[in-house]
Amino acid sequence: MFLELDRKNKHNVAMIDSNGNQVSYGEIVDFGLSFQSVIPKRTLMFVLSSNCVGAAMGYFGAMINRIVPLMLGVSMDRELLENLIGIYRPEYIWKPADMAEAEEKILLREYGYVLVATGLTGYPLYEELSLLLTTSGSTGSPKLVRHSYGNLEAQARNISAFFELDDTERPLLDLPINYTYGLSILNSHLYSGAAVLLTSMNVLSPKYWDFLKEQKATSFTNVPYGYEILKKLRVFRMNIPSLKTFSQGGGKLSEELHKEFAEYARRTGRKFIVTYGQTEGSARMAYLPAEYALEKCGSIGKAIPNGRLYLVDEEGKEISEPDVVGEMVYQGPNVTLGYAQTGEDLILGDERHGTLYTGDMVKTDAEGFFYIVGRKKRFLKLCGYRVGLDECENIIKTAFDTECACVGNDECMDIYVTSEQEHDEIRRYISNKTNINSNAFRIHYIEQLPRNEAGKILYSVLDNRNKE
Amino acid sequence: MSNLEKYDQIFCDQFSLENGFDGEKVKMNDTEDWDSVGHLNLISALEDVFEIMFETEDILALDSYGRGIEILGKYGIEM
Repeated sequence: MFLELDRKNKHNVAMIDSNGNQVSYGEIVDFGLSFQSVIPKRTLMFVLSSNCVGAAMGYFGAMINRIVPLMLGVSMDRELLENLIGIYRPEYIWKPADMAEAEEKILLREYGYVLVATGLTGYPLYEELSLLLTTSGSTGSPKLVRHSYGNLEAQARNISAFFELDDTERPLLDLPINYTYGLSILNSHLYSGAAVLLTSMNVLSPKYWDFLKEQKATSFTNVPYGYEILKKLRVFRMNIPSLKTFSQGGGKLSEELHKEFAEYARRTGRKFIVTYGQTEGSARMAYLPAEYALEKCGSIGKAIPNGRLYLVDEEGKEISEPDVVGEMVYQGPNVTLGYAQTGEDLILGDERHGTLYTGDMVKTDAEGFFYIVGRKKRFLKLCGYRVGLDECENIIKTAFDTECACVGNDECMDIYVTSEQEHDEIRRYISNKTNINSNAFRIHYIEQLPRNEAGKILYSVLDNRNKE
Repeated sequence: MSNLEKYDQIFCDQFSLENGFDGEKVKMNDTEDWDSVGHLNLISALEDVFEIMFETEDILALDSYGRGIEILGKYGIEM
């Protein structure tokens, strides 16, 4: 069974959420059976998730029965959701009960969630396809990452190995489970027989900290932006004895923050583990063992168990000497099958064969530790969310009468427009569409976008303009 | 500038409010841009302008314009 869920102690608690729900391993397995009686075939199901038992049970109900879930955030823009439904034609949707429409037929109601049939006829699915995730939850791009069953097994096994997980763990999981990194925590800990503490509460809410303390969380995981918040909250001064491990992923942590948390961990006898990953690599591909957290500050470490990392130059030749920057390539059983852009793509097989070009520009030190230097692809991580620059350009150009070019860094996106008007409206619009604070966007007027002879936008000119 | 004027100015700057806004209606997760990011920006701005450093519990408790005035009082900032 998925994650060997039926081989755990069925009375042990598997998940607890901050709404007061709790389920055991036995209940997950039983719920899998109820799911099977309602959906007796392999098909596509959308899960509109937040971090609660209801959403997670729908996910497990699907996985146990080889139904393929696409995990989406519950607060996703309606228009973008309708767009995805139109493209991928899910036969079923698992969503919060309060989102059910009057005319919808409810097939199953449990844990505050309902299963509804859409009446759509789905596309054929590749037999090893297990799970779909978006590449960029926020811009609602229809591009999905196709995972195999083997990917998720490798993910659960390898992550539980390098974090040394066992059934005494109680991780606090507030990273969205529709996001590769959040879902990997759920999978790896349930594989280890642990009890996952789910919440969608904000880290800035006093109740978040009450939940963490009352439930005696043993670890938490965050993205770089989350670590900035924790520092601002003076987490170093908090007294939370149950916490043993902090881990980080989801983008490059600044060296300063890395050092502060590594020192804090050493001082208080805790573990601080930096990891590196992408949706395309089923969450994690590298990690920096806690014992190197200070010594190798700023590094993402080395490949996870059963994986291999190396760098290639522009000709694709492997780089063997240290301190030379090249694109990082990962090989391992967690490399996903490829992308889907349309419903017809769901039948596609493995297009990557275990090798992933990460798009990250990286160098190594003399001892083989990897350090991220830059990024090859055009996206930013705003407030921890991956946001495609080209996608944002398209969203703006579609809605407003302007040319548009987006550049920036992980702090702020700089949007250059040729329209002299509606700057505030554009800022609000893109903030709403991406669900990211409008302060993360700056609009600049430019008479004409810089282009080369072929008409391609010269992003480097805009980048330099920003730095002035 | 009086403390209250400074306080109001910070809210105007952070959440794009007009001068003379209704403080009663300004609340976290309700006022546009007052989400996590907005909150941390607000906290940083208050700390910079009033030269104080909040305790964790106060950072978490400061969830409205009115609460902010009460909390600043604890740090000796009278409006």
